[in-house]
Amino acid sequence: MHPTPLRSRPLLNLLAVSVATLSMTALPAHAATQEELEAKVQALADEVGLLRSQLAKVTADQRVAAAAPVSTFTPQTTATPARGVPELPARDPGLSFFGYGQIDYARPTDNPSDSTATVSRFVLGINNQFDERTRLVSELEIENTVSSADDPGEVEVEQVYIERDLNDQMIAKGGLFLIPSGLLNENHEPTAYYGVLRNRVETAIIPTTWREGGALVQGNTSYGLRWDVGITTGFDLSKWDPASPEGLESPLGSIHQELALAKASDLSGVLAVNYTGIPGLRLGASIFSGDSSQGQAGFDDNRVTLWETHATWAPGPFEFAALYAKGHISNTAQINATFVGNPTLIPESFFGWYVQAAYHLLEWQTGSLRPFMRFERVNTASDYANIAPGLTPSSADDLDIVTSGVNFQFAQNVVLKADYQHFSGNGESNQVNLGMGYQF
Amino acid sequence: MTDGDRGLFGLFSAAALMLPATVVAAAEYLSIDAAQRALFPAADSFVPIVVSLTPQQKQTIVELAGPQPPHGTIQIWSAMQGGSVLGYVLMDEVIGRSALITYATGIDIDGTLHAIEILAYRESHGAEIRNAAWRQQFANKNDLAHLQFRADIKNISGATLSSEHVTQGVRWIFALWETALKNRHPES
Repeated sequence: MHPTPLRSRPLLNLLAVSVATLSMTALPAHAATQEELEAKVQALADEVGLLRSQLAKVTADQRVAAAAPVSTFTPQTTATPARGVPELPARDPGLSFFGYGQIDYARPTDNPSDSTATVSRFVLGINNQFDERTRLVSELEIENTVSSADDPGEVEVEQVYIERDLNDQMIAKGGLFLIPSGLLNENHEPTAYYGVLRNRVETAIIPTTWREGGALVQGNTSYGLRWDVGITTGFDLSKWDPASPEGLESPLGSIHQELALAKASDLSGVLAVNYTGIPGLRLGASIFSGDSSQGQAGFDDNRVTLWETHATWAPGPFEFAALYAKGHISNTAQINATFVGNPTLIPESFFGWYVQAAYHLLEWQTGSLRPFMRFERVNTASDYANIAPGLTPSSADDLDIVTSGVNFQFAQNVVLKADYQHFSGNGESNQVNLGMGYQF
Repeated sequence: MTDGDRGLFGLFSAAALMLPATVVAAAEYLSIDAAQRALFPAADSFVPIVVSLTPQQKQTIVELAGPQPPHGTIQIWSAMQGGSVLGYVLMDEVIGRSALITYATGIDIDGTLHAIEILAYRESHGAEIRNAAWRQQFANKNDLAHLQFRADIKNISGATLSSEHVTQGVRWIFALWETALKNRHPES
């Protein structure tokens, strides 16, 4: 949204105010030397000449404009408003829009007949600035193009919250918002990460895009520490389906509620800290914890805790990232005893970590070519609570994924991606992925 | 809520209370007057100026500055001391993701940039660009070749659009100085 530029002032007002301003600023109250006075007079003469030039333009009703860097932009180089102390230009409260999306193609090399192509995400964001301190942030997402009883797509309100600046260091938000966990969850636009698909750790262990309803306070210090503290809705363990493999694909992704008639008898807490005080470096950690029994019969004190720590570092043309995440669900033995015989019991713990390196091979004003490589280890059921001898499942094997590929940004905020993923540990087929993403 | 929940919330609340906070004004972090004085503390006055550009100058700025996000209003002042021009204060606005970021920088008459000041930030994410260390990266730059995003001005992970767009805005400001302000005063 472009604000209305300052309008040219009427001729006489401009002259009067300018002369008054010059009088106040250019003429000292105390006596000066002849040379100083001459310098002042010269300065005044220069400014009067400038004003005459401006007057001619105002009279001709020609706005003085600076160059337009792009066709959508015509910045105005203007004088300050006629006030004793200049103030910030007033912003028009109102609507603004943003969006992002991605189109992907995935081809398993062992099973080409399973190849798929889809519009993975089409997201429109609507913000409304109610005043300088209060805003609405929302995102509406369509996954896989078509959503109906016979189609695989989904329509989701991914975020909708009201945010209020409490002071110049703290903001508060309430509504449905993203949990500040990991590197991807809050920054999940396709131009922001490497690889066609989001990394497995921040999909299977941290259920990106993970959002909850509640209230959160965020602080930012001038030395680079950001902290978030919030109370939110949490998981619902009664959603666990022991007959479905979904729980092994993403334990928390299978029991999240996304504020869709979410059971809210038990609330959760989240605490996150991130440090960006050294340019190019980010260090952070977070913990989310809350009871997932939600007061339901057959469930008692089933606390879900997920913690993670992460780092990014960008020395020269390199970018490095690393993350470790671990989850735990308590008191699962009694529930699992009722699931015996099913393929998917509830794990007591699960974890994942990755390291990633990228290199800015080519960089130009509007784009870049950045090869990357990532190694991930994921285990969605690294341990089970003991049910009884012979009944407790064995831990799952670690899944290792090596992803190597390239992000080719050929225009600002538009990226083409290609990568190859090598899987070992769970029999998944290796895969070639191609994708296109954008953000605005 | 279980006892464990209460303990957890107590821990989070205590952690929040221990974290630093300063209760001051609102989303406008710095007034123009304060920004001017932060950029040129030795100046005794700031004189608003209007720059008129020829079509050729406009084209030159476009070529020098490179790709730009949408901008808002730009205002310029001469920083004066005893009748002499110390440099210029330029206040600009660029879109972060969907809202305008208001920032200002100073340029000495010899073309040396000052650290930038963030006057207002209106986005929900990306306020990390207010970090002093990130803003300080612009200080003492004196040519566009050393104002490259990522190479000279580091990206902030999680605030990419804001840090990239402000960097591009500063490139435009510097190109404006080089094209239209550099030879404005005989002192320069």
